[in-house]
Amino acid sequence: MNLRGVLIEDTFAEAFNMSAARVVVTAVNARWARAAAQALTGFATSIIACKCEAAIERDLTPAETPDGRPGISALFFAMEPVGLGKRLVERIGHTVLTCPTTSCFDGLPDAVERVTPGRALRVFGDRFQISKVVGGRRYWRVPVMEGEFLVQESFGVLKNGVGGGNFLILAEDEASALAAAEAAVAAISGVPGVILPFPGGVARSGSKIGARGYASLIASTNDAYCPTLRASTDSALPDGVNSVLELVLDGVDADAIRRAMRAGIDAACLPGVRAITAGNYGGNLGKHKFHLHAIMNGTS
Amino acid sequence: MSEHVTLTLRGALDGALEVDGVAGDRFATLSEGEIAALPVWLGARTARLGDFFDITGERSSTIRVVGALARVDGLGAGMSAGELTIDGDAGARVGARMTGGRVDVLGNVGDDAGMAMGGGVLNVRRGAGDRLGAAAPGASKGMTGGEIVVGGSAGTDAGARARRGLVVVGGDAGRDAARATIAGTLVVFGRTGPDPGRASKRGSVIALGGVAPPATYWYACTYQPPHVRLTLTYLRRQYGLSVDGRLIDGRYRRYCGDSGTPGRGEILEWVAS
Repeated sequence: MNLRGVLIEDTFAEAFNMSAARVVVTAVNARWARAAAQALTGFATSIIACKCEAAIERDLTPAETPDGRPGISALFFAMEPVGLGKRLVERIGHTVLTCPTTSCFDGLPDAVERVTPGRALRVFGDRFQISKVVGGRRYWRVPVMEGEFLVQESFGVLKNGVGGGNFLILAEDEASALAAAEAAVAAISGVPGVILPFPGGVARSGSKIGARGYASLIASTNDAYCPTLRASTDSALPDGVNSVLELVLDGVDADAIRRAMRAGIDAACLPGVRAITAGNYGGNLGKHKFHLHAIMNGTS
Repeated sequence: MSEHVTLTLRGALDGALEVDGVAGDRFATLSEGEIAALPVWLGARTARLGDFFDITGERSSTIRVVGALARVDGLGAGMSAGELTIDGDAGARVGARMTGGRVDVLGNVGDDAGMAMGGGVLNVRRGAGDRLGAAAPGASKGMTGGEIVVGGSAGTDAGARARRGLVVVGGDAGRDAARATIAGTLVVFGRTGPDPGRASKRGSVIALGGVAPPATYWYACTYQPPHVRLTLTYLRRQYGLSVDGRLIDGRYRRYCGDSGTPGRGEILEWVAS
């Protein structure tokens, strides 16, 4: 398949089921909401070392938030609900609770599976905390030096979240790869239910499972796609490709991943890009296979 | 099965008529004849619902009651599901002991509306009598859940002995509002009457239209409580209440009490800027 002169390789991205949560942070203004959300989702690029993957999903208008203030929604992904709940306790407790003017709400009110980070965080109030039920949902008022921190008790969890959707941009040079990646990030940013957990939405250091030289490593550089190793390894790079960037996507479901990959790949097909491919493990590990041709044809 | 059941009161009543079982969950399984056979009491006299009401429809959890109902007591009492609309005023104990569903009253309600309510929604377009959402006589606790929204004013003892739940009074609240609450929230858009929150353990009174906190409440600070913003925003969106943005964005004086009890109750008084 060729899209505006860019080869779309006949391959697939292999992805996994993950548990997903959506956290809504509000504040007195968008600046403080973003400050909290950025800290909340920091160092959450890969579950390999970060214990979860997370990123800002989108800005929320006051009309979209429970307390009518500017807000931000962030998505979190972990391998199972219990672990996800622990990550929410750690992260909300050390980033949102600490940030001036913020409140913290569940963004998946219809989800049946629940974790209760608010119940754990309430004890920071040292028995001065107060519970309130509004609209059938319980909130905790935790006294803090500024005034009060308000946090919802339970957060919904989607067990059919998907982590590890991806595609690789194979370009003639660094500038072309970066321009294409930025265009793809911009296109995906408008797709609801999807995040790109790496810095700026882009990863330059795609990995393979394990390592050939270090037995203890669970992941190491994806040498097949490293241009500098073309002469030293079993390279997968076509001629003329001198830089590769990867977009890794996590979504609330497989459809969200498909929509985002379609938008991102389409946007990434710019001058200087030779090919788009995807990372997989042979199809034996992940439940989900996102075939690039089917996605771009709209048949998947 | 009908789309809804309509009860139409045939004429004016000589005295208070106590009904039992006029509730969405009950009607969902009853035929027209069974509905007509439900017991009612006019004073000491026992009769049937069908003796006073024309009944159309059956086996529906959606009920509409029509007529001069100000002397009909117990409408929606004990309801656990469904929808009940009262097309005008209603008597005492509307929605008492409800645990679910929704009761809408387009007029006023009498005393003891929402008494000992455990869940669901009681939405009264106009005013309410005494003991709105309060405890049953002799009971240690009143509301344990649910939401009561009254567009007009309420009498004495609104929200008294509440354990949980939300009571909203669009107008003024009478004396002893939120008396002896264990928890729960009372929001008063108008003036809150004398002695609010007396003997309360942990309840909240949100006074938007003026209040004189009892001497047994101590001033703590003036701040912007995030849960007040959340609650008022919720009331605006869920019930279409006209909530002034100054109330949502405003600052509140926090008074803690009652000092004769654990003292974890609060009165939050809106500060007009």
